[in-house]
Amino acid sequence: MTQLSRTTAIERRAAAASIGSDLDSDAVFSPSGALEWLWATFTSMRLALALMLGLALLALAGSVIIQAPAGVASDPGAYNAWLQGLKPRYGGFTTIFDKLGLFNVFASVWFRGLAVALTTSILACSIKRAPTLWRAAVHPRTRMSETFYGSAPYSENIATRMSTADALATTQRVFRANRYRTIVDTDATTGITHLYVDQNRWAPFGTVIAHLAVVIVLVGGMVGSIMGYRDEGFAVPVGSTVAVGGGTGLSVEAVSFSDSYYDNGAPSDYASSLVVYREGTPVAAKTIRVNDPLEVDGTAFYQSFFGPAAVMAVSDASGASLYQGGVPLLWSSDDDTRRIGQLALSDQNILVYVVGVASGRVDANIRAGQIQLEIYRTGEQQPIAIETLDQGEPLLIGGLTYTFKREQQFTGLIVARDPGQPLVWLGALALVLGCFLVFLFPNRRIWAAVKAGPDGAQVSLGATARHDAAFAPEFTKLTEQVRLAFAGAA
Amino acid sequence: MFKMSEYSFMAGLISVGLALLCYVAAFASVRLARRQSALALDGGHAGSTMLSGQSVEVTRGPSSLAGYGTLIAWLALIFVSAALVFRTIAVGHGPFANMYEFSIAFAWGVLAAHVYFERRYHLRALGLFALPVALLLLLYATTIPSTSDPLVPALQNNLLLTTHVAVAIVAYGGFAVAFAAAALHLIASYTGSRRLPRLELLDEISYRAVVIGFPFLTLVIVLGAVWANVAWGRYWGWDPKETASLVTWLIYGAYLHARVVRGWRGNRAAWLLVAGFAATLFTYFGNLFFGGLHSYSGLNQ
Repeated sequence: MTQLSRTTAIERRAAAASIGSDLDSDAVFSPSGALEWLWATFTSMRLALALMLGLALLALAGSVIIQAPAGVASDPGAYNAWLQGLKPRYGGFTTIFDKLGLFNVFASVWFRGLAVALTTSILACSIKRAPTLWRAAVHPRTRMSETFYGSAPYSENIATRMSTADALATTQRVFRANRYRTIVDTDATTGITHLYVDQNRWAPFGTVIAHLAVVIVLVGGMVGSIMGYRDEGFAVPVGSTVAVGGGTGLSVEAVSFSDSYYDNGAPSDYASSLVVYREGTPVAAKTIRVNDPLEVDGTAFYQSFFGPAAVMAVSDASGASLYQGGVPLLWSSDDDTRRIGQLALSDQNILVYVVGVASGRVDANIRAGQIQLEIYRTGEQQPIAIETLDQGEPLLIGGLTYTFKREQQFTGLIVARDPGQPLVWLGALALVLGCFLVFLFPNRRIWAAVKAGPDGAQVSLGATARHDAAFAPEFTKLTEQVRLAFAGAA
Repeated sequence: MFKMSEYSFMAGLISVGLALLCYVAAFASVRLARRQSALALDGGHAGSTMLSGQSVEVTRGPSSLAGYGTLIAWLALIFVSAALVFRTIAVGHGPFANMYEFSIAFAWGVLAAHVYFERRYHLRALGLFALPVALLLLLYATTIPSTSDPLVPALQNNLLLTTHVAVAIVAYGGFAVAFAAAALHLIASYTGSRRLPRLELLDEISYRAVVIGFPFLTLVIVLGAVWANVAWGRYWGWDPKETASLVTWLIYGAYLHARVVRGWRGNRAAWLLVAGFAATLFTYFGNLFFGGLHSYSGLNQ
């Protein structure tokens, strides 16, 4: 892990450059200078740290401060109403938080800006670091100077009575037995034999892998949000077939839905039996549950919610059917006593609100087995009629015949197609592997020099290992073994 | 089995308390002995340098108070493990499904990490901060209902429930030890106390603990994303708990970079670790305050 710490040189150069330009009053803008400045900035760990902690602070704000729901944030009217509702809670801060974008932190220019800057920094650092890591793994420095063995944080000098060749072979054997790679490099001019040993030499690439993995995850997230399709409120009445949007070309039939409960009233299971059609041909069928979705050609269906539906039939004066099927009563009235659904008869320019009584509630105007219709002409504020229908009894309203056939349930699904997902999972896997590689497989490097002494070979061992807290006992163990091997052979 | 689990839990709670008492008493007596011997020697300076090695870290064997502390901490770990095992058998899934179960599991993680690091670095002083964390978690568990409700549909994924949360326990345990060492570091450096372990050693232990905790936290988040994708139809949705885990990940990520690349040591790094553990606790308790999809505590009915 020592290779991680090579940022200082460029920072020093950058610092020197900035001092230089301060002193030089004739400094002019030059493209290469600007590039160098950018490079120095984005490879600076100081900036990366500031970005990470800045993102952490913003994210903290995002988890402490209430965030605008997805539908609300995109609709100015709804958003303002939502803001008014927050006034009692946040008081004067409401406006300040709003101005700072703190009610929608993760879409704010701050958050996105920092994320983009951090991604740039990650890429720049990885590009800068990779060649160094490659060199250290493939062409490691095998020779160290005499002063290294005197000043290294870990060092050991052992005098033996062996020949240099035997001492080298013995040392090598000990390290090999401990699963170290050994490289011998004899210096013909000084007569010193250098021995370089290392372990887990590919592990430092874990940092590059993990860092690039973060970028891959972010790219995957972006692909998903740009090219993906998501409908969190896809309701299908049991017995009906509803077309999926987003150009998927699919439609879904809910064959059945069941909700089960434990004795204490907590839900135990929600299950929908679905059939998925493409252009009228069934392509998949499955009973989905909360932890068990159905996927068809990259589009996935998740069990999410459920509620009551009214099975309706509408026909015109000639008796031709205009609508036949369930209307999910998706919304609740403000006092939670009524459930409301919407039925659009686009060809007739008619919009019908279907109103039922919420389960367990009593309503003076709508009795059991009844449903109320509020019928509007599209775009108008005043209803053309408000009528209550008895189950199974057709009623003629405005030239159309409406029949409330029966109550039914609808199953609520999340429909999601996310082409960014493969990237996200690839990145996630690489992130985990990279992290474990770096942190749990420390790259260990030890240098040794064997030279002839008065009574036999002198062996010096040394290592730096600044970031490997567990190295001290390892080094002691290894040098002890080397010493013992020398003693045993003598 | 519920009874067995609760008895083991109580035994574990008492053991943690006793172990902590032993550590505190041992620490205080070393301090007392130090003061007496410092008085006995005419040069106070000479006395303390001579004795500086003789801090809590060198007391060995169960003959000393701190030795008993270690022994009882091991017992506590065994009792809490037993409580979790009995609970698992009783409820039929990993003991990770509500706040009561998860508090005990978290305390187990802290105890296990403490015992591991104490043994590895011969550093009993860690217990002065790690054990209170475990004790508070267990005490907290006594204040919340221990009933086991059957799993709601979203939690009905035995594999992911077990791995996602079990991995979190390892990460949180590591972070608790990193916090304990950082807290000792801050106290040692601000008071200039020589009774406490060497600053460099505390710094190393913090780093070592984060080095274990961080990859596991990464795995927690990734497994969480996998599960969220299966159960909620998206791998990330800025749910408060998801966001809090990201905050924690970013802080420890910043710590690792600061230490490894910028060479941050000492109090600056220690403060970052305190912030990291605060974020860890926020991640853990956050859903109680801010709702969100992770509301499985069983406390809001």
